[in-house]
Amino acid sequence: MDQNNSLPPYAQGLASPQGAMTPGIPIFSPMMPYGTGLTPQPIQNTSSLSILEEQQRQQQQQQQQQQQQQQQQQQQQQQAAQQSTSQQAAQVASGQAPQIFHSQTLTTAPLPGTTPLYPSPVTPMTPITPATPASESSGIVPQLQNIVSTVNLGCKLDLKTIALRARNAEYNPKRFAAVIMRIREPRTTALIFSSGKMVCTGAKSEEQSRLAARKYARVVQKLGFPAKFLDFKIQNMVGSCDVKFPIRLEGLVLTHQQFSSYEPELFPGLIYRMIKPRIVLLIFVSGKVVLTGAKVRAEIYEAFENIYPILKGFRKTT
Amino acid sequence: MPGGGRCPDCGSTELVEDSHYSQSQLVCSDCGCVVTEGVLTTTFSDEGNLREVTYSRSTGENEQVSRSEQRGLRRVRDLCRVLQLPPTFEDTAVAYYQQAYRHSGIRAARLQKKEVLVGCCVLITCRQRNWPLTMGTICTLLYADLDVFSGTYMQLVKLLGLDVPSLCLAELVKTYCSSFKLFQASPSVPAKYVEDKEKMLSRTLQLVELADETWLVTGRHPLPVITAATFLAWQSLQPSYRLSCSLARFCKYANVDLPHPASCRLQELLAVLLQMAKQLAWLQVLKLDKRSVVKHIGDLLQHRHTLVRSAFRDGTAEMETQEKELQGRGQGEEVGDSSLGLPQGKQPASPALLLPPCMLKPPKRICHTSTVSTVTGDENISDSEIEQYLRTPQEVRDFQRAQAAGQAGTSVPNPP
Repeated sequence: MDQNNSLPPYAQGLASPQGAMTPGIPIFSPMMPYGTGLTPQPIQNTSSLSILEEQQRQQQQQQQQQQQQQQQQQQQQQQAAQQSTSQQAAQVASGQAPQIFHSQTLTTAPLPGTTPLYPSPVTPMTPITPATPASESSGIVPQLQNIVSTVNLGCKLDLKTIALRARNAEYNPKRFAAVIMRIREPRTTALIFSSGKMVCTGAKSEEQSRLAARKYARVVQKLGFPAKFLDFKIQNMVGSCDVKFPIRLEGLVLTHQQFSSYEPELFPGLIYRMIKPRIVLLIFVSGKVVLTGAKVRAEIYEAFENIYPILKGFRKTT
Repeated sequence: MPGGGRCPDCGSTELVEDSHYSQSQLVCSDCGCVVTEGVLTTTFSDEGNLREVTYSRSTGENEQVSRSEQRGLRRVRDLCRVLQLPPTFEDTAVAYYQQAYRHSGIRAARLQKKEVLVGCCVLITCRQRNWPLTMGTICTLLYADLDVFSGTYMQLVKLLGLDVPSLCLAELVKTYCSSFKLFQASPSVPAKYVEDKEKMLSRTLQLVELADETWLVTGRHPLPVITAATFLAWQSLQPSYRLSCSLARFCKYANVDLPHPASCRLQELLAVLLQMAKQLAWLQVLKLDKRSVVKHIGDLLQHRHTLVRSAFRDGTAEMETQEKELQGRGQGEEVGDSSLGLPQGKQPASPALLLPPCMLKPPKRICHTSTVSTVTGDENISDSEIEQYLRTPQEVRDFQRAQAAGQAGTSVPNPP
């Protein structure tokens, strides 16, 4: 499998669920509790599909085409609908246990949470393991602490004018070549550059960051500049949570040497650079974990779900 | 040479085009007289056609070791000799420096960074061979800032893709303790303060192990813990004479710098020892405090494994509390001493939580869970809300007046 080639040799033998490189738990499982109503964006990880799964998909697509040619329009629709749900189900399931998925026929067994639209008599294949993760879901949801976003106001700005006519701005060109502006609601800070680009920091959610950036743009507009709101993009998200038990950092750095950096002479925490998703975690002895480097919220949740079983392994001292 | 050229000396027509190194010459083949010669140097107009290549884009860099790299390699060898490292370390450190120098980011770095790089290479070599060298030592030797050192070190490890093992605590204890000047009688050290090296080393090692087991070492700088452990070991070996000596005075006699967190670690270690002492019956009656427990460190260390298990319960699960208590009692009876053969009235003290000190302290601020906000990001922004952030024209005038007055007052041109 593609992903196993990139794993270091020692990690392939580990019993711990899929180490840190594969998503052990499907991120769109209905069992994942998410704080706000924001639906998680699915991770575009087509590269993680194994060759076997690729073959399966291609074969299923071929079968789909064959059946469409043979049967009538209505039956084709039925088949297509049912195949798509089972395909989805099959994809989700094969993320869990690809080695079981040998047969080329479609499955009848619906996964919990996905109901097939049309019940159909199709030959059953080898049973798929239900979509429960190898380890229990942690039940802890990381809280977002900071969002950094950028937006292009689309016009050149005169920073002196802005600093003069805005109450909430500070501008010290000798120290930094941008105006630092703050608003109270949402409590954020923005760096506004003369090129028209702006960085907005301090928001606690993506929507708040967007709202705050719009407010800054409106302030700049009212100051007389033709400000627009182009290319709003979230650049970084920081989250934190507490696993509520102490962690033996020395042990963790020994077993996960490839990913961890623990230098107590420099910093009290362990810096864990997870490959998939590309997130940096700061793990402290008190059990508090800081996750940063995410572009979307789901990456933070996925990273925490990946690290939680690893940390539980270091829970007992002797 | 055909064409009517004649040698002015012998008149022969046999003139040969022959160059003397880079200078072209017309020479008579009969008498050897140089008839004409080319220019040795180029003129300004000629040079206009030449194109200069910067050194970094020529191949000169690859052909020879640059002067700054030579200097760096010399510094690496010097540092290894100053630290009295085994000779094999020198070659490894030099190899790392050369490897690092191949990267353009390092080649173009400032001299300060290249200086610190020397220390990083030596440190990595020592860490890989379990030689206990701390970053503080290297920074002192190189007169470098720990921040600069840490940045360069992390960059180097990432760049070279190295696996650097952690600092070996046992080796560090041995090296650090040996540096204490208390093992030989000297005029500056009172007679009763001199101690046998082996005894102190073994006891310090046991104390450091105890600290590691009870979460006092994880996440902290190792040196202050070792200083505190050395102090306690030294005190406990002859408590009657040494209890009056403070940590600071001890370090002065030993000619060792006292790291600032050492006093904190000392208090934490004493608290752990006190908690262990509560499990021993004959010590319970004595009602020990942080000073008197030092006298019994020897006993406590002798039974430290049992005592830690019985004195502390796993901070994570309440379910295991009772199990551990039972285990502790059982263990005590196996050991055979009268620790838990107690009269009915007295029971060992209830186990304390075995957690890192940062988890035992009350939280500094209330971490309120963030309220779920129903912000969509696309709400209407009212004008009045934006107006509050804009200055009124009157305010602008006042501000400009104040700025002008300020500038006039200081009479320093203040470019806005």
